[in-house]
Amino acid sequence: MKDLASITGVKKTIDEFELGPIDLTIEPGTITALIGNNGSGKSTILKLMMHLAKADQGSIQIFDTSVGGQDESWKNHISYQPQTVVGWNAFTGKTLKSFIAPLYPDWDENLFNQMAEALNIPLNKRFGKLSQGVQQKLNLALTLPRNTPILLLDEPTASIDIPSKKIIIDLLTDWMDQGERAIVMASHQSEDIMKLADYLSVLKNGKMVGTFEKETLKESHTRYWMKDELPAAAVPGEIAREQQMIISNDPEAAEKYFSENNLICMDAAKLDLDEIIAILLS
Amino acid sequence: MELPIRLSKDSREPIYHQIENQLKALIAGGHLPADTPLPSIRALAKDLETSVITIRRAYQDLESQGFIRTTQGKGTFVAEIDQSLKQQVKVSSVYQSMEKAVAIARNYDYTYPQIENIFQEVLEAHKREGK
Repeated sequence: MKDLASITGVKKTIDEFELGPIDLTIEPGTITALIGNNGSGKSTILKLMMHLAKADQGSIQIFDTSVGGQDESWKNHISYQPQTVVGWNAFTGKTLKSFIAPLYPDWDENLFNQMAEALNIPLNKRFGKLSQGVQQKLNLALTLPRNTPILLLDEPTASIDIPSKKIIIDLLTDWMDQGERAIVMASHQSEDIMKLADYLSVLKNGKMVGTFEKETLKESHTRYWMKDELPAAAVPGEIAREQQMIISNDPEAAEKYFSENNLICMDAAKLDLDEIIAILLS
Repeated sequence: MELPIRLSKDSREPIYHQIENQLKALIAGGHLPADTPLPSIRALAKDLETSVITIRRAYQDLESQGFIRTTQGKGTFVAEIDQSLKQQVKVSSVYQSMEKAVAIARNYDYTYPQIENIFQEVLEAHKREGK
């Protein structure tokens, strides 16, 4: 499969903050979540992909076209929902749609109407008069129907109520099934986003900890409760321990080590995704 | 359509394998007859909160073993499977459950005669409760 987008060795310095080097490839049919604490560089990566900020080093390719080069055809393949929009306050949803829809040849009017109805978005009210959550819903309803192969979402469900989150997750699932598409979402550990993602790219203080396939990550982290206190030597894959409890990210090697050293394991359990993320970010 | 698949995250059996085996059981047991449409890879990944990579792996295995078929542009459907394959799934799933029960008992240091006794007791209780 051909990559829809690739980021290679990208670096960016903003005041004291250093992002990168970042490497990331986006395959069609995948959802990637950028996970990290506030200020870890998630939003900056999305902005760099949109050329709203310029990389100091490295390159970003979208559909084989370099972002920031002479050829701007990459812009037809990507759409972006920022965390906050500027300049929309005076306009109603209807007016905003009439500005945006003509810019996108694949605009899906039915999807827009379906979203407005399912999410109860008042289209005749000025954007500035809407609550934060409704603004976010409208913002998504003005982004998803653009139907570009690559969709970038910055904290798309941050201030949205639980029933609407469910609707949005279903909408995104259906949208993904309509073609060779990919979503990249930034989130500071929102559970619903992690549930939807195939890959988790974990960022810590501007550095990429790694990109992990979700199930591999979940299957690799195991917590063991041992019968007796463990010897001081590290267990294979050991990442944490507390008295008789130990966490390993290499369960196969850890279990082999236990049996070779006659250490008795009372119980074992896989970690939850948010626990694993917390470990990766600590 | 939501499939009655339940995943056990603490099982040693990888998630893709759990999905594969449960789908096989649903198909061989006749709960999913031939030509039943299956959810898309993306939709099933969402329902089971896993990744498309995991579902794709399960679907590919099921397809190569003849349990499901994918028609380009139309989706994935339950395949027509022959009686011997059905029988094979039934036998192997019963054997697997028994093997698992024995492994658990051995983990708790039960002896083989003790395990046999338990099995007899369970069987008798089942007979009394049933017809």
